Amino acid sequence: MAAIGVHLGCTSACVAVYKDGRADVVANDAGDRVTPAVVAYSEREQVVGLAAKQSRIRNISSTVVKVKQILGRSTADPQAQKYISESKCLVIEKNGKLQYEIDTGEETKLVSPEDVARLIFSKMKETAHSVLGSDANDVVVTVPFDFGEKQKSALGEAAGAAGFNVLRLIHEPSAALLAYGIGQDCPTGKSNVLVFKLGGTSLSLSIMEVNSGMYRVLSTNTSDNIGGVHFTDSLAQYLASEFQRLFKHDVRGSARAMMKLMNSAEVAKHSLSTLGSANCFVDSLYEGQDFDCNVSRARFELLCSPLFNKCIEAVRALLQQSGFTADDINKVVLCGGSSRIPRLQQLIKDLFPAGDLLNSIPPDEVIPIGAAIEAGILVGKESTSGDDSVLIECSARDILVKGVDESGANRFTVLFPSGTPLPARRQHTLQAPGSISSVCLELYESEGKNSVKEETKFAQVVLQDLDKKENGLRDILAVLTMKRDGSLQVTCTDQETGKCEAITVEVAS
Amino acid sequence: MLLLPSAAEGQGTAITHALTSASAVCQVEPVGRWFEAFVKRRNRNASTSFQELEDKKELSEESEDEELQLEEFPMLKTLDPKDWKNQDHYAVLGLGHVRYKATQRQIKAAHKTMVLKHHPDKRKAAGEPIKEGDNDYFTCITKAYEMLSDPVKRRAFNSVDPTFDNSVPSKSEAKENFFQVFSPVFERNSRWSNKKNVPKLGDMNSSFEDVDAFYSFWYNFDSWREFSYLDEEEKEKAECRDERKWIEKQNRATRAQRKKEEMNRIRTLVDNAYSCDPRIKKFKEEGKAKKEAEKRAKAEARRKEQEAKEKQRQAELEAVRLAKEKEEEEVRQQALLAKKEKEIQKKAIKKERQKLRNSCKNWNHFSDNEADRVKMMEEVEKLCDRLELASLQCLNEILASSTREVGKAALEKQIEEVNELMRKEKEEADARMRQASKNAEKSTGGSGSGSKNWSEDDLQLLIKAVNLFPAGTNSRWEVIANYMNIHSSSGVKRTAKDVIGKAKSLQKLDPHQKDDINKKAFDKFKKEHGVAPQADSAAPSERFEGPCIDSIPWTTEEQKLLEQALKTYPVNTPERWEKIAEAVPGRTKKDCMRRYKELVEMVKAKKAAQEQVLNASRARK
Repeated sequence: MAAIGVHLGCTSACVAVYKDGRADVVANDAGDRVTPAVVAYSEREQVVGLAAKQSRIRNISSTVVKVKQILGRSTADPQAQKYISESKCLVIEKNGKLQYEIDTGEETKLVSPEDVARLIFSKMKETAHSVLGSDANDVVVTVPFDFGEKQKSALGEAAGAAGFNVLRLIHEPSAALLAYGIGQDCPTGKSNVLVFKLGGTSLSLSIMEVNSGMYRVLSTNTSDNIGGVHFTDSLAQYLASEFQRLFKHDVRGSARAMMKLMNSAEVAKHSLSTLGSANCFVDSLYEGQDFDCNVSRARFELLCSPLFNKCIEAVRALLQQSGFTADDINKVVLCGGSSRIPRLQQLIKDLFPAGDLLNSIPPDEVIPIGAAIEAGILVGKESTSGDDSVLIECSARDILVKGVDESGANRFTVLFPSGTPLPARRQHTLQAPGSISSVCLELYESEGKNSVKEETKFAQVVLQDLDKKENGLRDILAVLTMKRDGSLQVTCTDQETGKCEAITVEVAS
Repeated sequence: MLLLPSAAEGQGTAITHALTSASAVCQVEPVGRWFEAFVKRRNRNASTSFQELEDKKELSEESEDEELQLEEFPMLKTLDPKDWKNQDHYAVLGLGHVRYKATQRQIKAAHKTMVLKHHPDKRKAAGEPIKEGDNDYFTCITKAYEMLSDPVKRRAFNSVDPTFDNSVPSKSEAKENFFQVFSPVFERNSRWSNKKNVPKLGDMNSSFEDVDAFYSFWYNFDSWREFSYLDEEEKEKAECRDERKWIEKQNRATRAQRKKEEMNRIRTLVDNAYSCDPRIKKFKEEGKAKKEAEKRAKAEARRKEQEAKEKQRQAELEAVRLAKEKEEEEVRQQALLAKKEKEIQKKAIKKERQKLRNSCKNWNHFSDNEADRVKMMEEVEKLCDRLELASLQCLNEILASSTREVGKAALEKQIEEVNELMRKEKEEADARMRQASKNAEKSTGGSGSGSKNWSEDDLQLLIKAVNLFPAGTNSRWEVIANYMNIHSSSGVKRTAKDVIGKAKSLQKLDPHQKDDINKKAFDKFKKEHGVAPQADSAAPSERFEGPCIDSIPWTTEEQKLLEQALKTYPVNTPERWEKIAEAVPGRTKKDCMRRYKELVEMVKAKKAAQEQVLNASRARK
């Protein structure tokens, strides 16, 4: 069964397909794996993708960009207002809905943001069908974590209108985790993952907890003032100043010249992620004068260092907000095209020395691949009704056992981590010195990591009259089972003698 | 490396205190296979307690495993390996008492023990005789294990388990103790169900929902029972593809047949149970009773409503009828009264009229002259018609009380008054008409025609000219004007415009006015052309009138007789007038005819007068 995952971003869209047990991104008809989410309207047709983006220099008022920022929003929304003030297209309100008023030369068209999104989705569908055939329409679409119900439904409807059968809308950070298969190989264990998504216009950070193969968003933060376009903009500003230095002309006032510079800067930015230096060349930038300039990666990094600092600051703020230290984060997932920037990756790696930096998948393809994997999981299943109740019972506290390490100091080990979806059973093989005839498991509960105190001990299990062994260790199997109401059953078995002790601890009412 | 400590002296397993916090509800992302698995598990209602229960069962099975006593099959050694299809595989493995409930583990264990015990090598060692090759009974054990270890084959064998009781209790069996008879049967058959949690038959106190669920489950029974074990031909034995195909076809047909039979069996079972089930009867009766009660209540309500409605309607109708009757009565009374009054008045007026006529007659119509008398008679008739009751009475009183002269004077005065009144009315009408025509003339004629007077001659001339030059004549009005100027005697020059105006005003005029003009024209013509024609026209009439005047006046008696005769002999009677004359004694045929003509004239005159009055009043309106 083939399925499709689509990620529609502010600046670009990407589609991945799940086929024969693996997910891969599909290149569009132009051979690009990522399609700019730009729609140009002309008298007779609508152009989606790179062609629309390149022709934007000429017809700026009839080319729609960043449609995702306005999708499903109302006039009262401050984000929508900000978008309207910045947009080069005329946005009007009609019948309580925001619509683009696009002048295509002959007539004035009213186009709703949903319609623009539909066109982009249609393009994505076409791309996916080029490898799957036209009967695969099952799709999982990703949405940002901070999208409201209205925006989600608007996005879903746009995908539906494009002919997709939307299986589910999933959050972008979850898709990113799924793309790396975090927690998918075994249904136990617990880890914390930071999803660092630096998209075209915004930076969104999420700290996710992966427990028993299920994902939970612990905290998230989105800042709209850092994104790929800001890097391009700093570079373009630098190029403009360079041009002024050379030709004594200030091109900052000319919108068309700036746009040419932006396009050139974007290309240069992309090559700087892999090369040490890049050449910017713009024909007849201003009054027939050509512009040629070489930018080194060091120059670019210098130009963008305030932006890098902002990114790192945002990560630090989020850690502080959620009460984690950098060591608590086990993995960092990079996604969004701009997290390709080598300097940024270096900075993040420095910030999380203990964590794994996951960047093996091209960052702008992580989310669609995750969506495709989810689609592969869902497709063919009998209708998992849309409103999957995502509220489940989890254990509230860590269950720990006290032991001693080689040096003889008391140590605690988590047997049953907090946040485990219930009901659940965990099994641990503990070890005890063979020279003792009795073993005692002292069980503690705790909320935080370092707050284990004597008074939080709630039970102990003792195994007595064990056969003594001269040297070596004995294995004790401890099985903890927690029911949905939170009551815990502990069974300890000595593997050698088969001696067994079990207790059931109820929750204090 | 963490090591568990040893327990202190005297310490045992203990719970110090309960867990402080219950489970927390968290929101998780709906992604990943473990999420799907979790949701599936939860939607299946496999709660932890259930899961644990299952786990426990597993544990107990494990422990049972060791305790499971294998029942030695006494006939084992006599079995013929060639006839393996008919052997009871469970019994062969010593699982005859567990049968389909045996777990794979048990089967495996049983097989192991059997092998240990009955393997030819073992027996050889023990010195038992062994048959050659496949003919040893050990083959049966191998075969049995082969059948039971493969789930598909085991299912096939289970489906035709020889110990299974396929019987279906008949209806008559279950009459008395339904539950005792059917419970075990359903229990037994529930093992074929694909679905778990087969509903139980329950007892007499089961709720309607339970019973309904039970029967709907069994009517839609989804069985896994299949009959491949009973295949007569074995596919594997076929030598070529065609044969294999043929065998397959045969097998499929028989299997389908058997499956159908099985379905029928289940169906019959459920049908029988349903028809015998005392609960169904009870529910039906209850339902019926309930329905009946509802129906009754409804009918009652409807009847009551209808009654109330009927009552109300009756009352309303009654009220309406009464009111109508009353009204009608009143109207009738009034009509009666009015009629009476009218009649009285009519009678009075008739009486008065008669009185007046009589008194006039008594006075011989105040004249000796016949002509005068007739004229007086006419006048009196006129009076009778026109005078009100009061004035008639007054007149009659005068006539009765006074002498002939005074009476005549009063009568004449009255006649004079009436005539005056009539004339006035006529004049008024004329004046009004004239006024109207003048107004019209003024409005149309404008300044030109307003100043120029149109004499009678001119009008005559105009009419003549208009008739002479009909519409369509070339420049008609100029021609007319020219004609007028040439022929007119007044010497006033008239333009075409004047002529148009006048003609239009004439057109607008009443036909009366036109007649007037015409009449005046005739009078003028008479005046102009001397007395001769007048004499001409007067002489014959006088001559005609003459003898009529001579004749004796008709008495009332004669008049009555004549009228009677006229009515008796209608117009088309042959020799009508002879007959009429015969009916009126003392009068000739000629007299009668004359009298008739006279009367006709009188009636005509009367009608004309009435019409004029009517016209006048209409014009006034």
